[in-house]
Amino acid sequence: MLFYFEERESREPIGVIVLEGCTVELCESESEEFAFAVKFDCVKARVYKMAAENQAAMESWVKALSRASFDYMRLVVKELERQLEEVQEEARSSQAKNKMKKQVQAAASVQPATFSLQNAAITGPVQEGVSSRENGVSWSKPTSVPNGVSEGCVWEGDCSGKGDGVRPPPVPPRRKTNGGSLESPVSPGTGCFSKLHDWAVVARIQHDRESNGHHGWQ
Amino acid sequence: MRFNEKELVFLSRQPSERAAELGMRGPKKGDVVKRRQVKLIVNFLFYFRIDEDEPIGALLLEQCRVEKEDNHAFSIVFLDEAERKYLFECDSQEQCVEWIDAIVKASYEFMRKNLIHYRTEIHRLTGKDPLEQYGISDETRFQVNSGLPPLPPPPT
Repeated sequence: MLFYFEERESREPIGVIVLEGCTVELCESESEEFAFAVKFDCVKARVYKMAAENQAAMESWVKALSRASFDYMRLVVKELERQLEEVQEEARSSQAKNKMKKQVQAAASVQPATFSLQNAAITGPVQEGVSSRENGVSWSKPTSVPNGVSEGCVWEGDCSGKGDGVRPPPVPPRRKTNGGSLESPVSPGTGCFSKLHDWAVVARIQHDRESNGHHGWQ
Repeated sequence: MRFNEKELVFLSRQPSERAAELGMRGPKKGDVVKRRQVKLIVNFLFYFRIDEDEPIGALLLEQCRVEKEDNHAFSIVFLDEAERKYLFECDSQEQCVEWIDAIVKASYEFMRKNLIHYRTEIHRLTGKDPLEQYGISDETRFQVNSGLPPLPPPPT
């Protein structure tokens, strides 16, 4: 919800705009720079035009307003819920694998706890394959494991520098998705979720030509 | 306080999380129970006269407490006006419990808390912040310590 007050120090708002279902756009105006508008899909809806004080503030407001809806929040929660389940599942299955490996690998210096955690972190992005390549990291198969047991899991990160090659290397930081790629590195299925963040899409210049006599600047 | 009524009415026509005909009694003294069509959409509870298209009103389900009442009923009170109770009468115990659950989970605040919980858990298990790749990890509303103050405990 967007509350608006008469003045900075006012204690009570004059009004509120319920933002559910709205779109936010940049707009062109003769009198105001850094203008943007909140629009709704329904018939005879008002257009709420606002202007920020500078480019950065305007961008920040447009971003915040387009992410204010309930739907957006719901999407984020669902996505995180899914990710958590995935991570928990990986942790569970790698702990099961780990128990077997422990019995075979008597001499290994691997700490079980960190091992399975690292596994949990690694197998996620490994399945996508793309992100680690982009990180400029070289793949290294676990052939250096002393007794030759290979689980088929691939180490992400630079293994060559490590002495024994058994200790899992630190996972490189995940790269941020840039505007060009709409596919989430986490899961291909969340392509449209990433799109929500591509708020640059809403940066269309529009002339104001509302037909229903809105009040103008607020 | 002004509000964008047209857009709210438009919202009330969208698919709802839950809708039913319930008995509803307003918070004022002398209010009686009336049959209303009640519709839960995002964090609003819209209510209509039976067979009418436009809602008579809506309750914003934030900073409120939902409680079970006798006889398949539940009530909603708001933090700042604890004496003003909205009462809803259901047809069955089951329906009543379902409504309470739905309303509790409808608030933005509830979702926010879930989000923070998942974020913290994922970070704990993987060492990574799941919000970072989406560029929203710094938003105030997603920080652990931000948000509305908790409701005071119910009066004993």
